[in-house]
Amino acid sequence: MRKTVQRILAVTLAVTMLTGFGACGGGKEESPELTKLTIMVDNTVQFADKLHAGSEFEAELEKLMGIDIEFIKPDHSGYYDTVSQTFAGSPDNWPDIVLLGSTYYASYAASGVLTDLTEIWENSEVKASGVITNEKAVTDCLVDGKLYGLAPARGNGCVTYVKQSWLDKAGITKVPTNYAEYTAMLDAFAEISPDGYALTSAGLINEEAPYVNYLPEFFQDAYPDFYRNEDGVWVDGFTQDSMKAAMERLIEAYSKGWIDKEFVTNNTANARNKFYADKCGVFTYWAGTWATNLEERLANSGLDSELVALEPIEEVGQYIERFPTVWAITSACKNPEMAFDLFFGTMFDGGEGQVVWTFGVEDVHWSKQAEKVILSTKPVTILDFPEGEFHFKADLETGDAQYMKSHIDPILSYATFKEGADVSGGAVDERAAEVAQMFFNNCKDAPTIAANSTIAVYQSEIMRLRIELVSQVAAGTISIEDAYARYEKEQGANVKTVLDSLNGK
Amino acid sequence: MEKKTKKKNMVSTKPLSVRLYTYRWFYLMFIPVLAFMLVFHILPLTGLRYMFYHYTNAFNIKWIGLENFRTLFSKPAFWSAFVNTLELSIIKLLLNTFMAVIISLLLNEMINLVFKKVTQTIIYLPHFMSWVVTASVFTLILSTYSSGLVNTLLKDMGIIEIGEEIEFLASSEWWRFTYYLINIWKDTGWGTIIFLATLSGISPELYEAAQIDGANRWARMRYITLPSLANTIITVLILNLAKIMNLFESVFVLKNDIVTEVAQVLQTYTYDIGFAVVPDFGLSTAVGFFRSCVGCVLVLICNYISKKIRGRGIV
Repeated sequence: MRKTVQRILAVTLAVTMLTGFGACGGGKEESPELTKLTIMVDNTVQFADKLHAGSEFEAELEKLMGIDIEFIKPDHSGYYDTVSQTFAGSPDNWPDIVLLGSTYYASYAASGVLTDLTEIWENSEVKASGVITNEKAVTDCLVDGKLYGLAPARGNGCVTYVKQSWLDKAGITKVPTNYAEYTAMLDAFAEISPDGYALTSAGLINEEAPYVNYLPEFFQDAYPDFYRNEDGVWVDGFTQDSMKAAMERLIEAYSKGWIDKEFVTNNTANARNKFYADKCGVFTYWAGTWATNLEERLANSGLDSELVALEPIEEVGQYIERFPTVWAITSACKNPEMAFDLFFGTMFDGGEGQVVWTFGVEDVHWSKQAEKVILSTKPVTILDFPEGEFHFKADLETGDAQYMKSHIDPILSYATFKEGADVSGGAVDERAAEVAQMFFNNCKDAPTIAANSTIAVYQSEIMRLRIELVSQVAAGTISIEDAYARYEKEQGANVKTVLDSLNGK
Repeated sequence: MEKKTKKKNMVSTKPLSVRLYTYRWFYLMFIPVLAFMLVFHILPLTGLRYMFYHYTNAFNIKWIGLENFRTLFSKPAFWSAFVNTLELSIIKLLLNTFMAVIISLLLNEMINLVFKKVTQTIIYLPHFMSWVVTASVFTLILSTYSSGLVNTLLKDMGIIEIGEEIEFLASSEWWRFTYYLINIWKDTGWGTIIFLATLSGISPELYEAAQIDGANRWARMRYITLPSLANTIITVLILNLAKIMNLFESVFVLKNDIVTEVAQVLQTYTYDIGFAVVPDFGLSTAVGFFRSCVGCVLVLICNYISKKIRGRGIV
């Protein structure tokens, strides 16, 4: 009996060891096959919800990818709160793929929650296919030389729009080309404004890079974050003379009534609404499709919709193009290679998948059938399209405008279609394309976002204080000197730690 | 002798199993409450361990001992938020209670019952409005532009000049005053309920006797109504004092970058840390724990004061 037990034990042990060796000998463990892709998206993936026929959009992508998809689309205003809460929780609940703005992408990449895709990209069919024709789709996404995601389109940026009707009313015949002319225009607009201000804005500094794109004329060459100077040394932009000069200009803008005094309580939606309600004549907002959107909304409000998109004034030189939003694969994804191939393989297939990500689903979001598209504007607009002409359908949520894109803006896209695959035939909204082209001709890249494990610890509180101080200085609550004294007292040591880490000290 | 005392204090001499069986239906009814308490109140307490960690995401959790507390106590912003919490809460509490007493006294003096009921209903209504809606409404009313009712009125009455509009919500000098005013508007009506209940319990005979003795309205209020109300006022103050660290929603929806120094409270500070570009959940847990400790001490102090004044505690 004892011997039998010993034999059984010996055999079991041997089998277990052999199995173990076998597993080790197999080298890399096989990644499990994915049965579902969970994708966390912002509202820039417009069709991924019920209001915009999300089920058709999802079904079409499932058909093309050959896998079940689940879109997670949190509320736009709380998107990054949800993302950070998700990453704080168990990786079992993380999505496989997530859409991230530049600042968040850099921070998350540095903190290890995103999969390093450098090797996967190098060996991918997407790269080999040559559909991505602009290398910035990759180079813009490098963090410390490693690739954690891909950008399907340029980051775009903001341009300053001026209402032609206000220029006429103020008797201004030449659009401003320098700061003196620009402020003279603001002065004249403040005089004719019903509420006494010429331009509106949601805050002065954004929380996300490039921070100053909503008020380029006042910030000019100032940049309130860490950047590499001409000598290649990282400096704190907030403490540079250019920032102090920008604050002087903001003080003047506030005290002279050029800027909406409610900038601090505005969010982007009500800043836009003030522009639509004709409370002001100047508004700096996104180039491209937003040019058309703003004009359409003004027309819907019964106002003269003609907008002049200003070329950057002399002192600004060039508008800033932000880093693009990036699609990344999380570290919790069980098979990043498969997720990459399925997801990016469809998004950049140069054919059907790219069509869905660019225009949406045929006969749901766009069509080539002869039909009348009825827009619920006042009065109602009826657009008559002949058979074979590509056109977007009316927005299923608002009904008062046509769709302009699915997720990838065709004007900004980094990827090209294979021959004959572009269902739009290259047709884009003329006005949007015109403003986008003006922007492309007059823009520069935003400074590289500083990212490492040290900056990840301090960045949020440093940035929060900068935003607070600039608002207080502009509103005249504290002087520039006091603001810098407080900055030094509260964040001086942290800033030094960050700069030392960036400069390798 | 000792045995006798012990027996006297015991609830029942029956074995536990018998008592469980006897009261089985009560225990059954208690199970959902117990489960709720365990899941939503006790279980989350395990998250307190994160105050000893550097925790930014699930892959980045590192034990750092008491470092979060050292960091926290060295931050001027933390102490500023702590002082703001105490100041805002205590002043708000005193003002709201004072206004609730005044309005209760005025309502109590109303003879026309219909008018009294209608008034009561109207002043209770703001309590049911969410803070988000309240903030939106007051942002509009207090705007410096043409939509701003208050500034327009002040200008029309000649109190302020055009161009001198008051930035009620975007100036450090005015923000707290505005905050207290909005709180009074929102919660005073609701606060009157308990005082009105007390007032309705005062014997009319006392007033009749005072009237016969020649006491006028003011004297009756001073010598009968207010002393009768005193105990309730103290109770309300004590009960609310224990909750003064719970200040979030009202401040969160009304504060902005310009007024952070006077408006940031511990809970909004926790939010800022926990929902930053790179959140620090360890640090925000440490702030939350500190807040809970202060709240706990306040409850114990209130309990002590309550025992001294009312003869019985609140916990």
